[in-house]
Amino acid sequence: MKKFYVRYLLLLLWLSGFSSYGQVSTSPLISLNLDKATFEQFAKEVEAKTSYRFFFDPTNVQKVAVTVYETAIPLDSVLRRTFKGSNLRFAVDIRNRVYITEGSSIRTELPIGYFRPDGGQVAYEDEPATATQSPRAKARSGGTLKATVAEIGLAGSATGKTATLAGHVRESKSGEPVIGASVYIETPNIGTSTDQFGYYSLTLPVGRHELKIRGIGIKNSKRLIMLNSDGKLELEMEEDINTLKEVVIEAEKDRNVSGMQMGVERLDIKTIKQVPTAFGEADILRVVLTLPGVKSVGEGSTGLNVRGGATDQNLILFNDATVYNPSHLFGFFSAFNPDILKSVELYKSGIPAKYGGRLSSVLDIATRDGNKKKFSGAGGIGLLTSRLTLEGPIIKDKTAFILSGRTSYSDWVLHKLPNSKLKQSSASFYDVNAHISHEINDKNSVYVTAYSSHDQFKLANDTLYKYENLNGSVKWKHIFNNKLYGVLTGAMSRYQYNITSEENLVNASRLQYKIGQTSAQADFNYFYSSKHTIDFGVSSILYDNMPGSLSPLGAESLIIRDVLPHEKGLESALYASDRIDFSPRFSLSIGLRYSLYNALGPRDVYQYLPNVSKSENTITDTVSYKSGQVAATYHGPEYRLSAKYALSDNSSVKFSFNRMRQYIHMLSNTASMSPTDTWKLSDADIRPQVSDQIALGYYRNFKSNTIETSVETYYKVMHDFVDYKSGATLLLNHHIETDVVNAEGKAYGVEVMVRKLTGKINGWVSYTYSRSLVQVNSPATSDVVNGGKYYPSNFDKPHDFTMIGNYRFSRRFSTSLNFTYSTGRPITLPLAKYTIGNATRVYYSERNEYRVPDYYRTDFAFNIEGNHKVQKLAHSSWTLSVYNLTGRKNPYSVYFKSVNGQIKGYQLSVFAQPIPSITYNFKF
Amino acid sequence: MKYLLLLGMLFALGSCITPFEPEVTESQLSYLVVDGFINSQGISTIKLSQSVNLQSNATIPERKAIVYIEQETGPRYQLPETNAGTYVSDQLALNSAKSYRLYIKTGTGVEYVSDYTEVKTTPPIDSITWKATDRGLQLYVNSHDANTAARHYRWAYDETWQFTSAFESLMEYKQKDIVFRKDDIYHCWGTEKSTAIRIGNTVKLSQNIVSRYPLQLLLSNSVKLRYKYSILVKQYALTQQEYEYWEALGKNTENIGTLFDPLPSQVTGNVHCLSKPEILALGFVGVQSETVQRIFVARNELPRSWVAGNGYSYPACSVPDSVIDAQRDEAFKFGRYIPILPIYKGPTNELWGWVAGPLDCVDCRTRGTNVRPDFWK
Repeated sequence: MKKFYVRYLLLLLWLSGFSSYGQVSTSPLISLNLDKATFEQFAKEVEAKTSYRFFFDPTNVQKVAVTVYETAIPLDSVLRRTFKGSNLRFAVDIRNRVYITEGSSIRTELPIGYFRPDGGQVAYEDEPATATQSPRAKARSGGTLKATVAEIGLAGSATGKTATLAGHVRESKSGEPVIGASVYIETPNIGTSTDQFGYYSLTLPVGRHELKIRGIGIKNSKRLIMLNSDGKLELEMEEDINTLKEVVIEAEKDRNVSGMQMGVERLDIKTIKQVPTAFGEADILRVVLTLPGVKSVGEGSTGLNVRGGATDQNLILFNDATVYNPSHLFGFFSAFNPDILKSVELYKSGIPAKYGGRLSSVLDIATRDGNKKKFSGAGGIGLLTSRLTLEGPIIKDKTAFILSGRTSYSDWVLHKLPNSKLKQSSASFYDVNAHISHEINDKNSVYVTAYSSHDQFKLANDTLYKYENLNGSVKWKHIFNNKLYGVLTGAMSRYQYNITSEENLVNASRLQYKIGQTSAQADFNYFYSSKHTIDFGVSSILYDNMPGSLSPLGAESLIIRDVLPHEKGLESALYASDRIDFSPRFSLSIGLRYSLYNALGPRDVYQYLPNVSKSENTITDTVSYKSGQVAATYHGPEYRLSAKYALSDNSSVKFSFNRMRQYIHMLSNTASMSPTDTWKLSDADIRPQVSDQIALGYYRNFKSNTIETSVETYYKVMHDFVDYKSGATLLLNHHIETDVVNAEGKAYGVEVMVRKLTGKINGWVSYTYSRSLVQVNSPATSDVVNGGKYYPSNFDKPHDFTMIGNYRFSRRFSTSLNFTYSTGRPITLPLAKYTIGNATRVYYSERNEYRVPDYYRTDFAFNIEGNHKVQKLAHSSWTLSVYNLTGRKNPYSVYFKSVNGQIKGYQLSVFAQPIPSITYNFKF
Repeated sequence: MKYLLLLGMLFALGSCITPFEPEVTESQLSYLVVDGFINSQGISTIKLSQSVNLQSNATIPERKAIVYIEQETGPRYQLPETNAGTYVSDQLALNSAKSYRLYIKTGTGVEYVSDYTEVKTTPPIDSITWKATDRGLQLYVNSHDANTAARHYRWAYDETWQFTSAFESLMEYKQKDIVFRKDDIYHCWGTEKSTAIRIGNTVKLSQNIVSRYPLQLLLSNSVKLRYKYSILVKQYALTQQEYEYWEALGKNTENIGTLFDPLPSQVTGNVHCLSKPEILALGFVGVQSETVQRIFVARNELPRSWVAGNGYSYPACSVPDSVIDAQRDEAFKFGRYIPILPIYKGPTNELWGWVAGPLDCVDCRTRGTNVRPDFWK
């Protein structure tokens, strides 16, 4: 057995050198002169002369002798002759890969296409396109072609030259919608892609068409249709059960170039699962962090800085509910269970008009709907966490649920340790997800999601941190007709934390923070014609923010209770956008969003002297607002524009401009060991943040779209984003406006990415040069930082290099290597001590004048898949990984403390050593 | 099980806290520090020192500098060095219509000046008042000025209080002999200068009146309130620029690293290097007069329920020790142990040994002075 694998691996290693040269579609004829050659020799000869590539187990073909003296004959006739009488079988795929197997079982697992005996053409399957018909397994395995034409509408009922075809694309096994699948015809070139519900709508000329469907995780297919008039076509696609990368890529292979969007990264769960993580569990945020233009402030922190924006400038949506803290254990795990995720989309520029409320990016996370056909489950057991997902139909084909939970037992492990310091420590979390989708009828569907997470954390000191997320959303989708559908969404989010300190009875206290939001929105998609797709909608969000309270704990505590009053605000928006396809080469999307924000009472608002720096000493008056009364109003347009021009079939140029407005701001104290962030709503003193970004990109694919390259450059200006005055106090500040200033920012950069997603070696390399600068200069009020010059923001990390490399030995064995380098983040250093006015003072450098050491890290993972027998109890896999292979002590936080009159700097490295881990995953 | 533990340990040991020592050169750390003000009606005292690196506890006075108060287009007055790094002027009466600055030439010949600053004439303190609140004794300052030019204030204060040591010693070890003590090391006076920055303004008021500005809060169990307490309050009128300097400086204290601390800020002041502008100096030299007022608060004026501690730690100074006479030399010769009373034993009342206590519990001079201050009433 062992020997077998060694040989097999060696062979594949050798083969892998060629694998990326695979050509598409033609089946070359071969000319050979061989006498009783071994099969290996034969294969070598053929490979040297043609684009055929052979995959076989040497032990299987030991007894085979090949004799050929012929010119220009098809390969299949040679093979058929050679294998006659043996139990060897062969199959050739679309890339002219020849698979030799014993018996006949491989065919059903082949990724694409089948060898057709007649004529050497690569086979494809045609599925009869009657509504919700399952793929016909018989037709496929037989490899025969049986075309059925789906009639849409009654023959002769055509009323115009065009008709609209609409429906869903779903996976046949689970009934899950397929998001982002392309549905198109080639003559004339008209196409669309499915939305988050798997819904598509296409306006085509009436008549006979060959409809092609390609998408993530499904087999590429075609349907013959006869379009007579408007109609519905539900497409059920067979899931591609292989986790071969080709399939994933194939689906999207020219998206880079031909897609309208720029600055968008779409990750499917398969890509996410391949990247090694600290504790062996797939982590979406960690993968997002490897994308160009995305950075984090520190190790273990999942706060994202997208294109020079602050961590509060990202809108993180989990099934349309806003998530305020997307991480567990201060960022060592992301808050989302990987087993229920369907896709993750990150918009860095060219943000659709539908989204708003944050300056830098939108991270849209969608969960799966649950299996509508049968009951199934998945899970994982790791060193620190375990997770379990169950899904299945409640009413077959109509209603499905998906339920998942994840918990850590790190607490238990810590308590077992023979170290008293660690025994006092604790770290644990859990999260629970529930999602139900119900199809009421053809036109109406309902989706309900609930999510809750809980964390607590205590590191060998007296302070206990706890935080919680609670989210829920309800969506109702209604299809008015083939061209128009609408989605009504109601969502709520709540985030809260508390910090309890009990070590010193006199100072025992609890700090609490809480924010909640309730929102309602209606979104409509109107497929006006094949040239125009119109989106429009309206939304409203009500915020309720409790900025903080400190209360004493225990009878001996001398802490005085201090509660900041609630803040309320209402953010509403109206949007419309039109995507215009002028020609297959040139398309344009224009949109406008208009947002309105009202700061609401009850609240007391301090009035300050005009034209001087706001401080406690310049308060002149207090104005009280009653409940519901508007204390301040801001509004403004947000322009969204993106354009694509295809230079050729495999290169394009894209441009985008967008303006964003943000009414909620995060206040983050990064100078202490553990940051505690609170949010602040815009009010009379704190204006909304506004940003304008222009971005230009060039995209080019090579080698039949197997290698994607892109260069994107952007320039962004940010107005009125929140920065702090020197000496600002952020927590429990009753007049925070005296400590924050509206700063100006600019960010610019170039992002270069090369991505190869096919072949045995795949992955991506990205390099980003970017700057993010801030200026605080209002001499009128003497609010000046660093002399009014531009200075680096907290997350200005000019150089960033990431490499994600995967190497697949076989279907069962694969490895990943991940390398990250970035410039250290800026820091303000205490430099010297001196005495003035009888007290010791600290002299600090200019703000962000210094930097912490550069960050680099290497991770390694090895995945072992269980065997691929179709019928078995559970599919399982093992992941072995080593996080931070080189053991570099990357700083998580750098902070200073006064110890016995000496001020000492400390660096907390969370993963200061290589962290090995092993996880067992299963699926049933 | 064992397997899990092992890996768990790897996780736990993975995190670590290591010293972080940024690369900062020594030349970036040593700046001239100017502490003091130009007193327009009296004696000006300026302390010059050098800033030190964060790990150091040393103070480095700036010696042998030449220091002048200079009037803009006018005369200058020298401040000769008295103690190391302390430069003191004569009694001066400066022209309140002029601007003044401080000129410094260090021993190494580097010249610094403060910005020319107008003279602010400080109004007198109206009163220092106090109130016994739930939390303790709250002291307030009250002042007003008919002149509305100076609306920014800073206060500093010196506190003095009477206290006693934990044990009263009647004996004294003198050259192997134990004799009756002549000086009183039981009653003392402690003194503390204010370290907190107390500033206020009347900008938003229609009149230039400071009313009940909270200056200092003493907890009801404070040792300062055990017998008698006195506070000398000094008031300074400031320019707005100087006010902002003190406001910012107040936030830059030694306390850093905790959740509630303010974010760091860079504060320099109004002193510049003449020859090389890039050389930094720290400190703000204002020009103003000083007005002072002192009050006393005696124990019998405070609520009876208040119990002031004696300021000595428990249990070290709670019960005195005893030393047998044979060991007296060993016990007392270094002065770290002090005899309190003799102990006699048996029917013959023979000297057995000594009641004794540690120096700090017995000799109040370790925490103050037994010389009655001139002003003490």
